[in-house]
Amino acid sequence: MSGESAASTPRQASRPSRSSYDAIVIGGGHNGLVCAAYLARAGRSVLLLERRHLLGGSAVSEEIYPGFIYSSCSYIVSLLRPQIVRELDLARHGLEIIPLESTFTPYPDGRSLARWSDPARTREEIRRFSARDADVYPEFGLAMGRLAHFAKNVVDVPAPDPASLDPRELLKLRRLGRTFLDFDGDLRWLNLKLMTMSATDFLSLWFENEQLMAPMSASGIIGTLLGVRSPGTAYVLLHHYMGEIDGAYRAWGFSRGGMGRISEAIGRAAEAHAAEIVTRAGVQRVLLRSGKARGVVLESGEELQARVVISALDPRRTFLQLVGEEHLDAEFVTAIRRFKLRGSSGKVNLALDRLPDFKARPGDGPHIRGDISIAPDFDYLERAYDQAKYGSFSERPFMNIVIPSLVDPSVAPPGKHVMSIFVQWAPYHLAEGAHTWPQRREAFADAVVSTLAEYCPGLPDAILHRQVLTPWDLEQEYGLSEGNIFHGELSMEQLLFLRPAAGWARYRTPIRNLWMCGSGTHPGGGVMGGPGELAAKTLLKAGEI
Amino acid sequence: MSATYDVIVIGAGHNGLTTAAALGRAGRRVLVVEARDVAGGLAASEEFHPGYRSAGLLHDTSGVGSDIVAALGLERHGLRLRRQAADVLTLGDPGDALLLCGEPRRAVAEIESRSAHDAQSYVRYRDALDTWRGILRPFLNEPPVDLLAPESSGAWDLLKRGLRLRRLGRRDLLELLRLTPMCVADWLGEWFETDLLKAGLALPAVAGTFMAPRSPGSNATLLLREGAAGPGIETGAHTLIEALQRAAEAAGVEVRMGAPVSRVGVEGHVRGVRLADGEELQAAVVAASCHPATLFLRLLEPSRVPLRVAHAIGRYRSRGTTAHVLLALRSPLRFRGRDDAPEFARIAGGIDAIERAFDCAKHRRMPHAPVLEVHVPSLASPELAPEGHAVVSILAHFVPYALDGGWDESRRTQLGDRIEETLAAHCDGLDVAARQVATPVDLEARYALPGGNIHHGEHSLDQLLVRPIPECNQYRTPIPGLFLCGSGSHPGGGLSCTPGMLAARAILAR
Repeated sequence: MSGESAASTPRQASRPSRSSYDAIVIGGGHNGLVCAAYLARAGRSVLLLERRHLLGGSAVSEEIYPGFIYSSCSYIVSLLRPQIVRELDLARHGLEIIPLESTFTPYPDGRSLARWSDPARTREEIRRFSARDADVYPEFGLAMGRLAHFAKNVVDVPAPDPASLDPRELLKLRRLGRTFLDFDGDLRWLNLKLMTMSATDFLSLWFENEQLMAPMSASGIIGTLLGVRSPGTAYVLLHHYMGEIDGAYRAWGFSRGGMGRISEAIGRAAEAHAAEIVTRAGVQRVLLRSGKARGVVLESGEELQARVVISALDPRRTFLQLVGEEHLDAEFVTAIRRFKLRGSSGKVNLALDRLPDFKARPGDGPHIRGDISIAPDFDYLERAYDQAKYGSFSERPFMNIVIPSLVDPSVAPPGKHVMSIFVQWAPYHLAEGAHTWPQRREAFADAVVSTLAEYCPGLPDAILHRQVLTPWDLEQEYGLSEGNIFHGELSMEQLLFLRPAAGWARYRTPIRNLWMCGSGTHPGGGVMGGPGELAAKTLLKAGEI
Repeated sequence: MSATYDVIVIGAGHNGLTTAAALGRAGRRVLVVEARDVAGGLAASEEFHPGYRSAGLLHDTSGVGSDIVAALGLERHGLRLRRQAADVLTLGDPGDALLLCGEPRRAVAEIESRSAHDAQSYVRYRDALDTWRGILRPFLNEPPVDLLAPESSGAWDLLKRGLRLRRLGRRDLLELLRLTPMCVADWLGEWFETDLLKAGLALPAVAGTFMAPRSPGSNATLLLREGAAGPGIETGAHTLIEALQRAAEAAGVEVRMGAPVSRVGVEGHVRGVRLADGEELQAAVVAASCHPATLFLRLLEPSRVPLRVAHAIGRYRSRGTTAHVLLALRSPLRFRGRDDAPEFARIAGGIDAIERAFDCAKHRRMPHAPVLEVHVPSLASPELAPEGHAVVSILAHFVPYALDGGWDESRRTQLGDRIEETLAAHCDGLDVAARQVATPVDLEARYALPGGNIHHGEHSLDQLLVRPIPECNQYRTPIPGLFLCGSGSHPGGGLSCTPGMLAARAILAR
């Protein structure tokens, strides 16, 4: 087997080389790895502990069915911060991104729309639905690009603290204010609308055709228990314009070899800087002495010492499980308990014997080499959401599909394919209780396959194997509390200086020497690496190690 | 020869009358022109069946602040403020009722009968609202900071307001920032476990909006309402209109009914208005309390409206979700199993019931189980109905303006039947002498509400922070001498009179 096997290689069981480190990072997801790599790069002795047999957390490649590599959870990369790729030299460590060329949407009426990275081609496609929308499409892209540029000022630095009286903080706020005021009036207003409006209302400021808007709006609800008509969902549209690959906005991509390759690359970068990575090493709790974190206790009972402990787990696991509420003040515990996790999505991964045709546009043309959205109109999406509101999974869900084997043959045997289906809405809290998910798992997957079969009739017969991940499975297997893929909803009251709790948005925790670096901190979830990077940089700046 | 005024106010609703009265008291020569034959707009009292009069459809008078009452001398004209908020009966499944008392101690006792936890929480909840009110009320009672051009407010004004926020303290400030964009279901869920209590508190926050309890940002509307909330007035909204009208007339304001405006004249600067009958009236200032879309898209010559303004107003969201039903009853309204006869009731079911009603509006369907706000104005104002009889006013929420297939007579009747049945399920018989049903489309026609939205534009976070559009966010418009003074301006709809008052101040400061 060559070293370039696509699956994340299960790591050889290794043991910590020493009993004491400058820093111990709990959790080998991409944020934990980024944090460990940055600390190691700064010359600190770092140990990273991962409970599973492989690295990556939710950014993993797994060969669950022989010959087929699933990116089990996250499936596409867009937000990975470019400075991380650069500073950790990830390309040298095996990271390779293949840009997505299109977003394809088939409709029940037999029509279809593909939006290409080439704007002229996209306009041609849109023109078949609405000439007016085709005309304003570039304008929309331009405006979003500007807004994304502003958002970068927020995403790439620790969250501003609006309640601080520290002059340095006020200066930062002022700088942010100035950036806002540097915009012309129209863009300021647009920014305000973007932050508060629903995805549908926001898109309706430009467009008239729902078939165009529906798949666009759906990006606004990914990972949240909200519908496309829910206020506050518009800003997530920005994520599509914030992804940067080689400096180009609105660029999404596949990771060659699957998402796990990203984690592997970061892991190698960390190891190149002499960080130690140990898998199959679940942490039972944070070791506290006189109220300060001193290290960790492994599930094996072994104790390891460190000057600081950094948790990449979600806030609930970090504080209520690893620390224990008896060590925290009641107000903080309340804030962590209130932090909304409630997962809303699932994943179905398919191993396919052959490539089925989409009725609306048959063949394996370039249209299916990007992502494929099942989001025919607003009412469809809202009906799907309505079911989730009252505790059922959507019988006809919103789906975002990729077939990575079309552009990256390394993930499937010749002529065969893997299909990755992100499914929304699948609420963690079923009306009958989250624990009933295992009994509903197959019904959930059946709903996904039969809905997709309406667009792709040959699909059911081509399936060799399916991996079904409900929010319950995401919690059990991948350690995501309530199956929330972002370690906490990305809703306005849980962003910026409120993530994960007011006053604790700077990676520090109420426990001395315990820090956070996961997606439950600013700037939040997605395979972005921002929390890991900012946590490491903040910690180093604080001079505590 | 056309008549000349200092100011012409378009619309004799509560905001138009407030602007007029305030300007009249400041010595301006003011004319109010009202399209209908009756003053009051949405709060107008009208005979809907021989012997039965309504008190308007704005039931909630808690937004009428004592400062405005004092500033316009409304008590001298017969307006009485309550000492404490009115009781509201919240009804869930038939037979399930919770009385939300205005008097805090009784409120706690009532809630205690359901849940000791919630009773304790309720005390802290009211305390928290008092804290927020201290900070929100000044913001609501002042012209808005122009968020899009904060520098235009002046450094001193900004500093003053900034300091006021800071005075909250770090913890409360962060908490206020956290809870504003939340949804009411989540926020109330942090306090309470009793579904009916949550529903009763949530309903007024989402009433008239295109949001449901699970819609993010709905908590902002709860805070908006609570931030301004006082005890309300003793009688229905119609008595506020009477007092405003008297105060205006006492200040020398002329009010003309049945005088619809067909054009606002502009030649560089506002010149006055032309009425539908062709009469020209001149004024250096025109203040429009009508819906912003009515002003910019109907009353002004298109060539006078800057393109970007027309564009922005065209995008201002104003989807109606409210229907109104008036019942003339031959006997008092009695809720089943209750001896008391509350003036206000909410038939809300629970958080999910409100949410499901909203789902219908969202999908342009008639709600299967509409959620209702019920007001019996004849209890406080017996003159509205013959002795022993009653007038019941019902706001039915989440009835879509854009019903699939459109509204017609049979669907209006069907809606009226559903609403009446919903109420009847909670009552010991309804002896209905007459019924008037108004769909959102009817309300649009009757009250000139584009889209049928009773707040002159949806209450949503973006339309509350900048209302209605950046170019006329502070009552001024791009047309010199032309002002907005209605619910389409800060701080929005409902019976507060604040937009009218703040507009009058902007006009005087001109």
